[in-house]
Amino acid sequence: MNIKIKRILLNTRVIVLIVFLLFALIAINPKLFGNDGVSIRNVVTNSSASLAGIESPSSNLMPLAKERIIAINSQEISSLEDYNDFIITKLAPNRTFIFETDKGSYSLKVNDELDLGLKISDAPTSNLRKGLDLEGGTRALLKPQEEVSEEVLEITIENLKQRLNVYGLSDIVVRSASDLSGDNFILVEMAGVTEEEVKDLLSKQGKFEAKISNETVFFGGEKDITYVCRSADCSGIDPNRGCSRGDNGYACRFFFAITLTPEAAQRQADVTDKLTVSTEDGDTYLSEDLVLLLDDKEVDSLRIGAELKGRATTNIQISGSGVGTTEAEAVTNSLDNMKRLQTIIITGSLPVKLDVVKMDTISPSLGQEFLDNVLLVGLLAILAVITVVLIRYRKVKIVVPMVLTMVSEIILILGFAALVGWNLDLAAIAGIIIVVGTGVDHLIIITDETVKGNVSYDWKRKLKNAMFIVFGAYLTTCAGMIPLWSAGAGLLKGFAFTTIVGISFGVLIARPAYAAIIEKLLKND
Amino acid sequence: MRKKLQAVYEKKYKLLLLIPFILLVLALLQLGIQYSMTGDFVNKGVSLKGGSTITISNDPLVDIDNLESYLKEQFPRGDINVRTISSGGRVVSVAIDSDAQETEEIEILINAMTDKIGSEIEYNIEVMGSSLGKSFFKETLVALLIAFILMGIVVLIYFRTFVPSIAVILAAFSDMVVTLAIFNIVGSFTGMKLSTAGIAAFLMLIGYSVDTDILLSSRLLKRKEGSLMERVYGAMRTGLTMSSTTLMAVLIAMIFVQSEVIKQIMVILFIGLLVDLVMTWIQNVGILRLYLEKKKSK
Repeated sequence: MNIKIKRILLNTRVIVLIVFLLFALIAINPKLFGNDGVSIRNVVTNSSASLAGIESPSSNLMPLAKERIIAINSQEISSLEDYNDFIITKLAPNRTFIFETDKGSYSLKVNDELDLGLKISDAPTSNLRKGLDLEGGTRALLKPQEEVSEEVLEITIENLKQRLNVYGLSDIVVRSASDLSGDNFILVEMAGVTEEEVKDLLSKQGKFEAKISNETVFFGGEKDITYVCRSADCSGIDPNRGCSRGDNGYACRFFFAITLTPEAAQRQADVTDKLTVSTEDGDTYLSEDLVLLLDDKEVDSLRIGAELKGRATTNIQISGSGVGTTEAEAVTNSLDNMKRLQTIIITGSLPVKLDVVKMDTISPSLGQEFLDNVLLVGLLAILAVITVVLIRYRKVKIVVPMVLTMVSEIILILGFAALVGWNLDLAAIAGIIIVVGTGVDHLIIITDETVKGNVSYDWKRKLKNAMFIVFGAYLTTCAGMIPLWSAGAGLLKGFAFTTIVGISFGVLIARPAYAAIIEKLLKND
Repeated sequence: MRKKLQAVYEKKYKLLLLIPFILLVLALLQLGIQYSMTGDFVNKGVSLKGGSTITISNDPLVDIDNLESYLKEQFPRGDINVRTISSGGRVVSVAIDSDAQETEEIEILINAMTDKIGSEIEYNIEVMGSSLGKSFFKETLVALLIAFILMGIVVLIYFRTFVPSIAVILAAFSDMVVTLAIFNIVGSFTGMKLSTAGIAAFLMLIGYSVDTDILLSSRLLKRKEGSLMERVYGAMRTGLTMSSTTLMAVLIAMIFVQSEVIKQIMVILFIGLLVDLVMTWIQNVGILRLYLEKKKSK
């Protein structure tokens, strides 16, 4: 027996499989005993966290490589609950807290709103990225309103990415997709984000204009605006006007300062120079207002002080409002509106208008349940397969290598997924089901051709016969999957991709190793 | 009994060939009737037709019949359908399919549900625009056509004969058409409608159908040992083991999985694998035997 095992382990095909499995395991890097701390998912620009030096993780980073908070003020943080407890009970405005992460230590000064600007999730236990179906989040499919060139589409995608990043989301996937009739789409996947938060950011073209007497004085974007203030000293709820009670609740005003380029400031001076001065309640204003428009809809209109007439001032204050049924809600909504407007002004207009053709929200709690259930069902299905195979072959020497091969194939797919950073979602799970299913089919073919096959052939010939069938089925299935790659706006791509990659690993690496193992185990038996 | 069956299977294979073709004709007839009655070949769910699905948890328990009649009364013109999603015999969540697509429409629907159920509900919404739904379905059909052609070419190159490659494609095609018709009939009793994931399941059938057909063609065309029938039975022993492992796994998943999407995939695979038995071991065997006999007599 020992000699047999030694022979198996020295077989080239088995060695290849083991090497690939090791690579896959290194890529997945499962932390079987859990991982300490909580993982930093996003850092909002100019927030307390960002000012303290914590960086927003790049979206290409492997999940385990993301920075983790391990302790705050020497109190250990081991789960999301610990973190939330700390935030709710211990956080106080204008105090400094020491955040210790696996990469260093930061002192955060907490602002008045107690908003640290951190998005936190439980520390990952492996490098596998859970897709939306498993983790919850929003998936949106956008379609340009007019036909655009590849180049314009790329610019739009870059612009959208920047817009979402500036808004404070880094854990996002934005990519182009097309269907067979050549229509282009943009697919956006955002884990852990709700639809309401991002709908405006995605569907608005974001053409921001400031007009005085119907003449545009400046646009959003870096051509006209060099700086947009997002720190507490020059943005927030307007201290002079604050919140007021209206008919249907409360309304609050927000403001933030921006800096114009000298050219834009000059344009404004040229227009204001032509206006007349009028007096209201003892203050002097110019005869026309500065009207702020977003996608040709007015967001706000501001009086211009008389002292600005004809002056090329580069510092401007932008304002707007938000409403809510309670004062607290109105404040939150105003600040959200402010953040969105700031984002759009910084990143400028998209080259093309986008329609939202499909938007799914997946609630994270259903996601976790879903994952637990899928794992349980997967295990039961494997047990069912083992039972059938045991009944047919009645040999542990066949069934054990078969099960090990099945498990190896799953590990290989997952390892590949971790390595290329692709999200495991429903399409990927469907792909894995078909890979494992046809995998078992092929192992049965190999077994029947070799162990049960014609006695007059030698093993080499038997193996050749088996691999002929396996390869034929493999090539035909691949031929069937390739057209799906490009069909249906990329919604079937994940399925086709997982299937092709998975059966390739199976046919080229795992299944030949299985053949080698049973040959060594059963030859001359 | 067994001997009798065996004799029929071996001698009357030409007559038996009628079975898969009658099935195919009946299936096409069903699809035709479905088309003339509903304007579509298949009962499309909201993900293909456009609309939304709202899923709520069944904890606390939801009175489904009551909820459905209430919603239908509230929105007489809306295409509303309430389904339950169960796992291991326990109803875990309730799905409300409707043609509501606009945020406002969905909000009204959710408000009506909250009123009825009377507590804060945690829900999960999936919205799909009808324009995409329609083009998506057409796209998938075109993709399938291309897939069949490519598969045909691969089999043709692999076996270098025309007949088996036609037989493989015919088997895969018949499998899908008959499965679709059966799915329609099952759907008319259970209210199950085809979703985008269901389409993925039909595509997965290609993989399973191809496996058994290539096995059969290889054994019949490339091997010389034993009689023709011995080779057929040899292939069948392997093929039935393959199908029964998959059928068992699919059956288990069908019973225990919570996700409506995966459940539908499993239902379609289950029907498809059963149909594939007929298409491989009667249709494909019959065609290959006819072909080999003709070749021999030449």
